[in-house]
Amino acid sequence: MLILLKLAWRNVLRNKRRNFLAGIAIGIGLAALIFTDAMMIGMHQNMVASVTDTFLGHGQIHREGFRKTYEVEKTINNGMELAKKLEADPNMQGVSPRVLTFGMMTSPANASSIMMYGVDPEREKLVSKLADAITAGVYLAPNDTNKVLIGTQLAKTLEVEVGDRIVITVAQADTGELSQEMFRIGGIFTFGVREMDGQMAFVPLGSAQRMLTIGNRLHEIAFHFKDLHIANNAEDPFWAAYNDNGNETQPWKELVPGMKAVLEMTEYSSFIVAGILFMVVALGILNTLFMSLYERMFEFGVLRAIGTRPFRMALIILFEAGLLGMLSVIIGVSMGFALTYIFSIVGIDYTGIEFAGMTFQKAIYTVFDIKQYLTFPLSLLVFTMLIGIYPAVYAARLTPAKAMRRSF
Amino acid sequence: MTTDMNSDVISVQGIRKIYRSGEVEVEALRGVDLTIHSGEFTAIAGPSGSGKSTLLNIISGLDLPTKGQVHLAGQDISTMSGNELSDFRRDHIGFIFQSYNLIPVLTAAENIEYIMLLQGVSPEERHARVQEILQAVGLEGMGDRRPTQLSGGQQQRVAVARAMASKPDIILADEPTANLDSATGAALLDMMRDLNRQHGMTFVFSTHDDMIMERAKRLVILKDGQIASDTTRRWPVIDSAQAEE
Repeated sequence: MLILLKLAWRNVLRNKRRNFLAGIAIGIGLAALIFTDAMMIGMHQNMVASVTDTFLGHGQIHREGFRKTYEVEKTINNGMELAKKLEADPNMQGVSPRVLTFGMMTSPANASSIMMYGVDPEREKLVSKLADAITAGVYLAPNDTNKVLIGTQLAKTLEVEVGDRIVITVAQADTGELSQEMFRIGGIFTFGVREMDGQMAFVPLGSAQRMLTIGNRLHEIAFHFKDLHIANNAEDPFWAAYNDNGNETQPWKELVPGMKAVLEMTEYSSFIVAGILFMVVALGILNTLFMSLYERMFEFGVLRAIGTRPFRMALIILFEAGLLGMLSVIIGVSMGFALTYIFSIVGIDYTGIEFAGMTFQKAIYTVFDIKQYLTFPLSLLVFTMLIGIYPAVYAARLTPAKAMRRSF
Repeated sequence: MTTDMNSDVISVQGIRKIYRSGEVEVEALRGVDLTIHSGEFTAIAGPSGSGKSTLLNIISGLDLPTKGQVHLAGQDISTMSGNELSDFRRDHIGFIFQSYNLIPVLTAAENIEYIMLLQGVSPEERHARVQEILQAVGLEGMGDRRPTQLSGGQQQRVAVARAMASKPDIILADEPTANLDSATGAALLDMMRDLNRQHGMTFVFSTHDDMIMERAKRLVILKDGQIASDTTRRWPVIDSAQAEE
């Protein structure tokens, strides 16, 4: 067996240029796969962070059916107690009680429909990036009562600036009577998402509850885990524990199903790239091995003539395929590692780009993963050997006389 | 593995070989009967297209006849499987081809050793035998050279050495001197004749080289796929010293 390996190794070295070029071609494919996967993981993490950190949170609690109609009366059962219970949970990083309703905002120049949110400013900071998104004016203070935060688009529509007065009109709970209050623009925010910048307005929690005459009831509790894995694991007992008493607790994937589909698509993209890569590998390996085989046809005839069994002939070719595969893996892993390392530091800047309903808030950084340096290279090596079976069988089935005639 | 003197090493009866290429048929051999005895130094000669190489391929098991029987060392090779035929050639037949005999990526010693590896010979015995054979063919000390580092004549000597390595019943040589100058070719032939005389090795050549025909004890002439003549002469016939005179 060793002599066959020695033969195969020396045959690979026999045409260094051709085999090195073939190795580079296949290696580039592997490097592309590694880099694509690293980028997809980075993009995945970036998108999840953008979605969950911006405003949504890792999960939310609502009254059952609230998200279908947004009826003001559908408040969370025992909302304040639930919020306190969540804050005491050691897995929690932040909990934000919220009130929300459709309304109308009017300025001297214009009017616009809005989604009014009542938030506790300090608790909201632990769950969303509202405070960081302020681009003009200031964030809500704990004792504010008549300040409102609106988005840049809404400010443009209403032709208002920080300090200007606007009127918010909403329908009260139970009676449906209209409630109007005047607020002053305390700050203007920019999330980079059209719906948020054009439709949302934030007032202090107490002010919203007062306007809606709902006492201390809540429509929504948004929360942020310390560990994202709980948010991504629908089987975690946390979800069942808070899914009772007419309330429903949902992780972020259920709150934005469109995003879940997009993220699943990014996971499949690595497989698609892998499929394309393996097709290229197959053609490259076959071409290289058959070229080498046809060049050495007489030599193979001599080997068979002097007593080399067909199986051993096949092994020589398989070993050559394996060695070519290993060369490709070494080149591909080196290039892939270098690219991934560079972009894990430098990043790819998609900041501000809106995609699938979310906006990238930060650059995308490539992420190392064990499968890039274990599963992908091993799969490539195994695939190379499998492809090598075709020329190996061809070599094994050569009759000595025909092989030696073909060389002339 | 050499057989007793005067026993049949090769016996072929009624050999026909037809090559088909599309609708064209070429009958390379048209009913050849031939027996080679142990210890013979035989040349199968004839013009191009007479069927010499085809006959050599068939009697060595490299190719199968369209019709007829082939017995090597008393065994009917037509009943052998691919593996059995490979093993048979490994153990009973040595080959010397016109060119590209040697595996270019192996050294001279490794080329000689290769067959013994296939036979499962121990490393110590392999090493000893390689040195012994290199000495016998006059290439002592050149074992670690690759074929590209050897002259044409030296490469053919290594081919002879490799053919001897498995201690075969017979060595078949297809135009072994075709790519050599006359002096080198003559020296090679004299070496093979010495091996035949001293060790009783059976040699069969396929050739149209006068040098080989002059040195062969038995001369079989092929013409148009059939044996035209088969003569055995007294030995010695001629050697290099006489040829130079």
